[in-house]
Amino acid sequence: MAKVLIPTPLRQYAGKQDSVELSGATVGEVLSALTAQYRDLRAQLYNDAGKLRSFVNVYLNDEDIRYLQKDATPVKDGDTVSIVPSIAGGAPVVAATPAEPATAGLSKDELLRYDRHLIMPEVGMEGQLKLKAAKVLLVGAGGLGAPLGLYLAAAGVGRIGIVDFDVVDLSNLQRQVIHGTGDVGRKKLDSAAGRMREINPHVAVVKHEVALSSENALDIFKDYDIVIDGTDNFPTRYLVNDACVLLGKPNVYGSIFRFEGQATVFAYQGGPCYRCLYPEPPPPGLVPSCAEGGVLGILPGTIGLIQATETVKLILGIGEPLVGRLLLYDALAMRFRELKLRKNPECPVCGEHPTVTRLIDYQQFCGIPSQPAAEAAIEGDIDPVEVKAKIDRHDPFLLIDVREPHEYQIGNIPYARLIPLGELPKRLNELNPADEIVAHCKSGMRSAKAVALLKQAGFRKVRNMKGGILAWSDKVDPSVQKY
Amino acid sequence: MIRIQPDAWREMVAHALATYPHECCGAMLGSIEDGRKTVHIALSLENASEGERERHYELRPADLLRADKEARDRNLDLVGIYHSHPDCDAYFSTTDLKNSCPWYSFVVLSIRNGAFDHANSWLPDAEQTKAEHEELTY
Repeated sequence: MAKVLIPTPLRQYAGKQDSVELSGATVGEVLSALTAQYRDLRAQLYNDAGKLRSFVNVYLNDEDIRYLQKDATPVKDGDTVSIVPSIAGGAPVVAATPAEPATAGLSKDELLRYDRHLIMPEVGMEGQLKLKAAKVLLVGAGGLGAPLGLYLAAAGVGRIGIVDFDVVDLSNLQRQVIHGTGDVGRKKLDSAAGRMREINPHVAVVKHEVALSSENALDIFKDYDIVIDGTDNFPTRYLVNDACVLLGKPNVYGSIFRFEGQATVFAYQGGPCYRCLYPEPPPPGLVPSCAEGGVLGILPGTIGLIQATETVKLILGIGEPLVGRLLLYDALAMRFRELKLRKNPECPVCGEHPTVTRLIDYQQFCGIPSQPAAEAAIEGDIDPVEVKAKIDRHDPFLLIDVREPHEYQIGNIPYARLIPLGELPKRLNELNPADEIVAHCKSGMRSAKAVALLKQAGFRKVRNMKGGILAWSDKVDPSVQKY
Repeated sequence: MIRIQPDAWREMVAHALATYPHECCGAMLGSIEDGRKTVHIALSLENASEGERERHYELRPADLLRADKEARDRNLDLVGIYHSHPDCDAYFSTTDLKNSCPWYSFVVLSIRNGAFDHANSWLPDAEQTKAEHEELTY
């Protein structure tokens, strides 16, 4: 026989007893026996779907059965089963700070503007005021940030911060729909903020013109309720994740590559974080960025709007948040799939015994050479004109082109040997560390990674051709097609 | 209706002021007669939230289990949970609601600039969709 302790408020459903003796081989059997005997108790403990209510924890003696064998946990004579609610809370995530009370009403213009929200009971006046009181931070005003900025502004999110320090480039316009042709060369922050104010003048757009770093992330994030990750590199992704976990703020995550995207909400109400999914970053250079691998221009629209939808749901507190589920989108198959994500109890940042308790050096964590090494690589840059001279002089050196074969077809330097960056780690044996090597790509980004990778592998006479094939076309051979 | 005895009330306010600007949390032990709750003892518990404790609290189920045992040992009942809202109203926030349980009274103490401001008691429903205001005296 096991003893089940009944919490005070439930005793009215259990014959006013404070404990009940029941038999059963497992915790599941004991609970079934309990609810069979006291039918009214069932509705208190289980929801309509027959699952334990979210706030109900079951303990065997002093252990949570979730960490034993759950319902199948064996019960011995004299064991005690306790029903313990899980309780948490706090001042609102979407806070009504004294300075900006959420009860401040909506103006006539706003009432008209948000009419299609206001007539839905799930949003209504209360929801629209929550949106107005909400403070949301977009990390990045690029592919994902563009649709996010447009729609969150239109929806009436009261304060939208943007972290970005880039300028609009012609090659951005294929997907970053918040910027226009006339904005090329302008700061992305100014261009995005201008467009958002044009869409909705009631929104305060806060510009953070910095590269997000371990030094400034907590300070920037602390003033926001929700952080949206629209970044395209691993160090920043881990940085955003860790800062969100440390501050207890939800991280609305999205990522895109070529024709596929992912989205989920990390670090929300005890759910998993990015590190639960990816404890370690991939080796540098292995996963190409969109600048290297390309991306379907429409893809960030789809993924960014999934992030925007989740953000609005979190603010309104409606629906089922995308927590503990990784949504995978394949544009070519036009298919969505869902993977279950679990919180890793051993997670170094959100697990039971966290080892990461403050922000670290994420460049180093992701295996990217730290600042001095990167500067050394810049010193080793070589101008395309000099490369041309070396070729003409028949200097003994090897020129490698680390782009993809289809890029090579568009235009190339005949002297160069093609070794795509992704294949480089496997093909190091084709190269001689004693040789002088110059690497080039389209613009110099990937070849810088190749140079770093070669140096790490012990190659010493490696240099990066500054500006890539674009600079080659400008300075040496205009017949080489630019793209 | 919930009435908090002077000693327990002093204990709760002192706890909320001591943890300011962080949120505090604890259990209220007492008795229930004809639906009227009386709190005799306030048991301060640790805020186990790993996030921003200025804006969040979390009770360890094990601590709650201990509070329940403490109540049983003293022939009292666990009747409610209290927590503080530093520099914020004593209302039942969405976060409170989404992590609540309908079995207890939830007393929220508003602390402003390090001083007690006001308090409210709330009774959340089983679906965690709304909380009713409960009459509170102290």
